[in-house]
Amino acid sequence: MPDIASGASASASGRHPMVEISVRVNGRQVVRSVPNHYRLIDFVREELKLTGSKEGCGAGECGTCSMFLDGKLIKSCLTPVHKVQGCAVETIDDLDRDHGMTVVQQAFHKCGASQCGYCIPGMVMAATSTLRRNPHAGIDEIKEGLGGNICRCTGYQKILDAVELARDVINGATAPAALQEEPADNFMGHRTRRLDAPSKVTGAIKYAADMWMANMLHMQVLRSPHPHARILAIDTRRASALPGVECVLTSDDVPGVDNFGVFIEDQPVMARGVVRYVGEAVAAVVAETVDIARAALRLIEVQYETLPGLFDPEAAMQPGAVQLHPFAANNICKHTRIRKGDVDVAMREADLVVEEIYETAPIEHAYLEPEAGLAYVEPDGCVTVQSPSQNITHHRHMLAKILGRPINKVRMIMSTVGGGFGGKEDMIYQGMMALGAIKTRRPVRYVFTREESFAASAKRHPFKIRYTMGLKRDGRIVATKMVMVSDGGAYAMSTPGVMNKSAILGPGPYAIANVWVDAIGVYTNNTPSGAMRAFGAFQSEFATEAHLDLCAERLAMDPVALRMLNLMRDGALTHTMQPLDRVLATDCLQAAVAAAGWDAGVPHRRAHGLPARTDLDGPGTRAPCTLGAYLPSAAPSHQEEQQHEA
Amino acid sequence: MLSFDHYATPQTLDAAFDAIGRFAGARLVAGATDLLPWAREGRAGDVHLPAMVDVSRIPELCALSVQGDRIRMGAATPISAFQNDPRLQKLAPVLGRCAVWFADDQIREQATVGGNLVNASPAGDSQPALLALNASVTLARRVASRIESRCMPLSDFIVGPGKTQLAGDEILTTIECDAVPGWGAAFEKVGHRRSLVISTVCLAALIRLDWAQRRIEDCRIAIGAVGPVPERLHDVEMRLRGQPPSAELLREAALMTADRVRSRSRQQYRREVLANFVERALAAALAQSGVALERLPKESVHA
Amino acid sequence: MKHRGRGVACGWYGIARTAAMDRAAVWVELDDGGTVKVATGVTDIGEGVLTGLCQIAAQEMGVRPQDIVLGDNDTARVPEAAHAGATRMTYMIGNAVAIACREAFGKFRHAMGAYWSVSPDSIRAFAGEVWVEGSSTQRVSMAHAVHVLKKERGIVVVGSGLFTSQHTPLHPETGVATPWQSYVFGAQIAEVEVDDDTGEVQVLGVWAAHDVGRVVNPQQVEGQIEGGVVMALGHALMEDYIQIDGKTTTPGFAKYILPTALDVPTITSVLITEPDPKTPLGVKGIGEPAITPTAAAIVNAIHDAVGVRLTRLPATPERVMAALREKRVVSAPLRRVA
Repeated sequence: MPDIASGASASASGRHPMVEISVRVNGRQVVRSVPNHYRLIDFVREELKLTGSKEGCGAGECGTCSMFLDGKLIKSCLTPVHKVQGCAVETIDDLDRDHGMTVVQQAFHKCGASQCGYCIPGMVMAATSTLRRNPHAGIDEIKEGLGGNICRCTGYQKILDAVELARDVINGATAPAALQEEPADNFMGHRTRRLDAPSKVTGAIKYAADMWMANMLHMQVLRSPHPHARILAIDTRRASALPGVECVLTSDDVPGVDNFGVFIEDQPVMARGVVRYVGEAVAAVVAETVDIARAALRLIEVQYETLPGLFDPEAAMQPGAVQLHPFAANNICKHTRIRKGDVDVAMREADLVVEEIYETAPIEHAYLEPEAGLAYVEPDGCVTVQSPSQNITHHRHMLAKILGRPINKVRMIMSTVGGGFGGKEDMIYQGMMALGAIKTRRPVRYVFTREESFAASAKRHPFKIRYTMGLKRDGRIVATKMVMVSDGGAYAMSTPGVMNKSAILGPGPYAIANVWVDAIGVYTNNTPSGAMRAFGAFQSEFATEAHLDLCAERLAMDPVALRMLNLMRDGALTHTMQPLDRVLATDCLQAAVAAAGWDAGVPHRRAHGLPARTDLDGPGTRAPCTLGAYLPSAAPSHQEEQQHEA
Repeated sequence: MLSFDHYATPQTLDAAFDAIGRFAGARLVAGATDLLPWAREGRAGDVHLPAMVDVSRIPELCALSVQGDRIRMGAATPISAFQNDPRLQKLAPVLGRCAVWFADDQIREQATVGGNLVNASPAGDSQPALLALNASVTLARRVASRIESRCMPLSDFIVGPGKTQLAGDEILTTIECDAVPGWGAAFEKVGHRRSLVISTVCLAALIRLDWAQRRIEDCRIAIGAVGPVPERLHDVEMRLRGQPPSAELLREAALMTADRVRSRSRQQYRREVLANFVERALAAALAQSGVALERLPKESVHA
Repeated sequence: MKHRGRGVACGWYGIARTAAMDRAAVWVELDDGGTVKVATGVTDIGEGVLTGLCQIAAQEMGVRPQDIVLGDNDTARVPEAAHAGATRMTYMIGNAVAIACREAFGKFRHAMGAYWSVSPDSIRAFAGEVWVEGSSTQRVSMAHAVHVLKKERGIVVVGSGLFTSQHTPLHPETGVATPWQSYVFGAQIAEVEVDDDTGEVQVLGVWAAHDVGRVVNPQQVEGQIEGGVVMALGHALMEDYIQIDGKTTTPGFAKYILPTALDVPTITSVLITEPDPKTPLGVKGIGEPAITPTAAAIVNAIHDAVGVRLTRLPATPERVMAALREKRVVSAPLRRVA
């Protein structure tokens, strides 16, 4: 007889049937009873506490969960635990049974292959699998072997170097001494192997999601499905009543001054009266298990009244647009201005005026470690949050004010960060965790899913840049005008800093007498934009360098020559009128040109009937990727396509 | 998150039918590589099923054999077999060429041929290769206590995005396809990067020249990701059969595909790439058969 | 058909907090066994600052990097070093570590000078050995020196350091300011191959030259450049967080596309290592400067290869093909006339 009732109640109560799994893990037989929906990654991490393997995405897209199942490398987040019954699993945690490091791990150590380290266990597994299959694998086969593993920090170069070094040592082509550190006569300038690499290549280092405390509870967060809505009521009674739920939090539970932000403290710990973006935290549940907490989320009833949403910054700036924050007229979060010289006069005197519009997209940090944390209250009443926060000093300030506690009764510990890039500067979950720990008087753990990280965390500001540059016929820039509008999203986060940086650096490392820059960050109901590696400068300098190339084309000039003419020299005055004693800009350009070999000439010379460039397809380039390195025929799919054009 | 009341791992086909009969709404699963990513926020969200019936350990579904000029694969054959099994390497190399574009090493060990077909994603990479190999599927059901099978061409099996002819009480047990040793083969795919990526356009092509290498004796072309279902380009194949290969012929074949794109998005892009892929794949397959052709310059395509 | 091209771009970046004073403080102790405790507000976020700071401390204190113990970044245990970002870690905290170590080592020198009855200036130490310059007899291990000073003289060698970077805020109307003390310049060249059958762009080579100041660990600097270049490649060609009416259509990694090992170029890093004159160590930074020129270099290279300008990122295959198509339509009438 179909047993539908129990299914409905498992989801509703958060109590799922258990399954007993008997499996050999790292050479040891284990028999454990776990929730039947567990995947192999849950079994290994949550049940066996083997935290070397990670859950970077839960959808088979990142490779951090890779492990061997009966000798084959698989993604354990895609493996229902039932599939491993009677099988043998090999994880990173015990890869070298003699408790040292395998040759692959030593090579990773030597080559500097681990940076944040979060992808590294998976990479070590993929490398191990590739070399086990073919101990003589060439670089193309190695790349394909690692093609299912994402790294966000290293650019893969040193990881690939490490796999090749390991291969050569394993084959005897290179002596094992090559794995040792080079001797140093001065530690400054030395290629010292990373001190944390051994703990990263073995999966031993603990990130926030790898930490447990006795008597720990689990938090899950209810997030807004609407981009803009008034919260009319939140009814948490049914959620609170669910067995296993210890507390349910809303903004009403915040005792102190409820706002935080890197520059402007405009964001509440949980939405207060209004939600401003899809994914904004509305309520939090703390319960005995993650399953029960998730079930409780479904029992929270929120009454929303949807409001018109703003999704385009230029529209949001128009008079009459709905105001998203009471203090931000025309939804403008920050307007930075640079005014140097007289741009209008200079443009009129230019021989050539070139205009163009550039746009960059919102970017996700995509650190492999999703947000996570552990919060607890010490016996002396000090509230402690361990998390990969990029600014614990500032977070402690804000949290103390939010909790209404003296600052030395709030403690922030920065756990090992599995990638930050600016995305972990905003205190988007630590406040809820601290509240949960205070209310329940037990440690509280919270681990984001990848989808939650995407929805809730900051994005790189997209920019729309209207560029006007005036030049003389010989290529000298006489005036630069940049009008930049950026979607700041629902809360300020780092928008003021981004606008500043984009303006100050935007016109580039060039000596320009007349500069006009507007950088306008605007509130909308999109995901908040925040700090992201080279914030503001990435976008504005992209426009400048693309624009210079366009100008070089119009002037029929070599783009290197155009830059050499205009780059700042020692003693130059920046766009903010700062004198720079020493400017190494031309040294860098000359060094890049020397390293690459650069055949000077106009861009895309084919169009002008000029001879092709002579600097292509030389040293320093790789062969194009054609896939199929270890197919037996080893014939790329279109080998006959030898036609190249310069 | 995917959750369920029961998870059965039958060791025989009979036990699998027992499980399907016992649990109404049971979901068959082989590799689970499509199911688990689907039951997540942003896609299907939390999904609770009455039961999962895991068919990946049933021996009939794992066997691979060659009978004459047909290859028989169990539905639970992992995609990695396309690259690793010496019989497939020799007799249907287009499968290997397709496999290198299919996800990544790890997922290829877990994803199954049958699972991929039943999932029937319009962007599925294995479908064009199998269609080009005249694949057919065997569906089994139990009536009273007898297991009965029906066979149909793969082109009939997949009827829409995510929709197949698999009935609620049926199990896909085997896939059969042609053995085509010595044919020239090519697989083209484009996505937004070179690994672990969803296809925007994909195509498989097979060519056999006559013994004198003067004419195209037979050819098969199948496309994917440009419409609700993958399909063979029978009209193009007919045009090519019996013809001496030439750059002009390839261009003509490419131009015939102008109206084959039925996706709802990025239509113009797909149309252009499809035409280019037809030409490129045919040229590559011909090159493998010993006939090197230089394609016509692109300007001729667009007036 | 495949077409190759090259593009160039320059860049610059300011080190540490923008237009606001920046600061970092450090405590140091020369500890038992000739080890060193360093306490400051730092956690490695992947750039390698942990190892870099240990190298700095090791060189200053005469021990080896593995002898350094760096305390956890904990607001209740270590002095403030402010935030992990803005390319400030090596610059701010590296300099602060050097200052703290120099204070501590100065005390050590003084104490050892008294112990050996020599001028403090003649005390040398490296990799765990301490000796008097020019002497063959006055030489001990650092472990022994620490033991002697503690036991016989009651001296625990401690030091502290502060490094401040003087930045001024922007004038609200003109932007006049000294937003940073130190700038990093750079230039990158990219070589691409464009496939005009599909619009795919493969980046085959990048040459990156950056003015990084005094280098603590060249392998780590290369690692940051390589990582920055590839991140920028993702921005340039494939990454786009899309929202429609506030709801994302790219909720995870299946739709939000990141570069894999098969997408990355060979990267040649050239380090210009003239020390920064304004700071004790002469170090600068590289984490963010590495990412600024790449996208433009790639986009310029696409233009060099096929004559189309992608002014909107990412330059996906669809956008590249659309640009090529538009170019052919525009140029077609001219061809017929010719």
